[in-house]
Amino acid sequence: MKDPFVLFWAALILGSVAWYGFLVFHVGFKAGCDIRDLIRTLRDQQAGDKKS
Amino acid sequence: MTLTALDWLIIITYLAGCMAAGIWMRRYVRGVEEFAVAGREMNVNLGIASLAATELGLVTIMYTAQLGFEKGLAGASIGVLMAAAFYLVGRTGFIIKPLRTAGVMTIPELFEKRFSVRVRWLAGLFVVLGGLLNMGIFLRLGGEFLVWSTGMPPHWLEWVMTILLGLVLLYTALGGMLSVLVTDYLQFLVMGVGIVVTTVLVLIHAVGFELVATLQAAWAGSAGKKLDAHPFNPFHGSSLGWGYLLWMLVLQIAAATTWQTVISRVLAAKDAGTAQRMYRRTSFYFVGRFLLPGLWGAAAFAYFAQQGGLPEGISSLTAMPHYLGIILPVGFIGLVIAAMLAAEMSTDSGYLLTWATVIYNDLITPCLKNPLSPQGRLLLTRLLVLGIGVFLLFYGLWYELPGNAWDYLAVTGNIYLASVFTLLVAGLYWPRANARGAYAALIMGAIGPVTFLLIGKKFSIPPEVAGFSAFGLAALGMILGSLSVPASTTRPAAS
Repeated sequence: MKDPFVLFWAALILGSVAWYGFLVFHVGFKAGCDIRDLIRTLRDQQAGDKKS
Repeated sequence: MTLTALDWLIIITYLAGCMAAGIWMRRYVRGVEEFAVAGREMNVNLGIASLAATELGLVTIMYTAQLGFEKGLAGASIGVLMAAAFYLVGRTGFIIKPLRTAGVMTIPELFEKRFSVRVRWLAGLFVVLGGLLNMGIFLRLGGEFLVWSTGMPPHWLEWVMTILLGLVLLYTALGGMLSVLVTDYLQFLVMGVGIVVTTVLVLIHAVGFELVATLQAAWAGSAGKKLDAHPFNPFHGSSLGWGYLLWMLVLQIAAATTWQTVISRVLAAKDAGTAQRMYRRTSFYFVGRFLLPGLWGAAAFAYFAQQGGLPEGISSLTAMPHYLGIILPVGFIGLVIAAMLAAEMSTDSGYLLTWATVIYNDLITPCLKNPLSPQGRLLLTRLLVLGIGVFLLFYGLWYELPGNAWDYLAVTGNIYLASVFTLLVAGLYWPRANARGAYAALIMGAIGPVTFLLIGKKFSIPPEVAGFSAFGLAALGMILGSLSVPASTTRPAAS
């Protein structure tokens, strides 16, 4: 394990696993809110179309 | 391997949820603008989920695992370069900022504003040809994973992937980008959980057979199977090497700014700042895109090396799914299959929509004398999605390529990236660029890789030399062609 390349890849593997885990929760929650906002905007636009 | 009731429940719930969400979004499609770019209402976190889901397909997992099997963890260096390219582009706004600000729906549309309608059409043709041929092998490689990880009979492959494509076509043709965004979100979640769980299980298993020591022994030639490349050092002569890595950096910058499925997320973003943030925050995801499946592939190599070699009928491509089929405990396989189906579906839907939009927007629309009605445009784009699905089915699944598919992909990929990247850079940043230069860049960018591939078979020219030459020839064509026209006749820069 003295090889710096082994340490480099080990750190990146652990970092990637942590990052993927974090993204699932963080982006999962925030992107869910984005979808809610997107649908609200589209619904408002549709209602505006019907009025005009 | 036998799937338990719990495995089936996970898979069916995932598929039903995706279909319901995808079809439900159909109600918000009013015209092509919503269908192709989600009304340009996409925010940054939804963009991250969609970009990550689309660019991590089952085909990606297969070839990155193959890299890990053949080159060890050093094969994942391409992912590090890809992450660097995305961060750099997100930080500087290189190409994507003026592209989003131009308000176009596809890259070739910008070329009409900047050069001429004929350049747009020709570039559109290059984009579609490169993209469709690239996508041609997705279904078969995805199916190979399912066959080897679940142990399902190989003759089921065509039928399973046909049904899967049918489901993707249904929601993509009905809801367009709106359905793609929402299903991408669900697929991002399922895929993320599946990848993390699989990696943890592989790491636990790898501790048992000392992955690092086995790979080092295989490199030294003292394990059951010899590893030909240094497993950890990408700069070593037996591994990727400096020249190849430099070439990959250029290629990844070109792909981050030119690959239409990536750019369609930029064009669907609310504004240029949202697109740049999406790039920066997604960048590190691409390290894992190569490294985690690469780890699975390297672990598969070490495992089979300890067993004395690969079982009969298993290749470097199918070793990883076969290995996962052996080590995954019952109950987890349903989650992993759902995750891999998610990877396949999100990529297929994004690609189907993107190429259909380019065909409609850049190949058909410029040829129409009278514009179609809004309903007619929407119907045409939906039919194009279905048409591409049919092409994909016969070309990629039922039709066996007579030659080497990778050679084919290398040619088409280089033609597209080298020429379109050159047109984008010159069109946005070089006021002197003009239509003649654009034609010359497109043609020379196409001639270069085809010639080098043919000569390369005889004289074994390294891929980095062929790749750099394609970019060099396209740039040369743009410069010489543009300078051959008086400066006063040149259109202003698009930005």
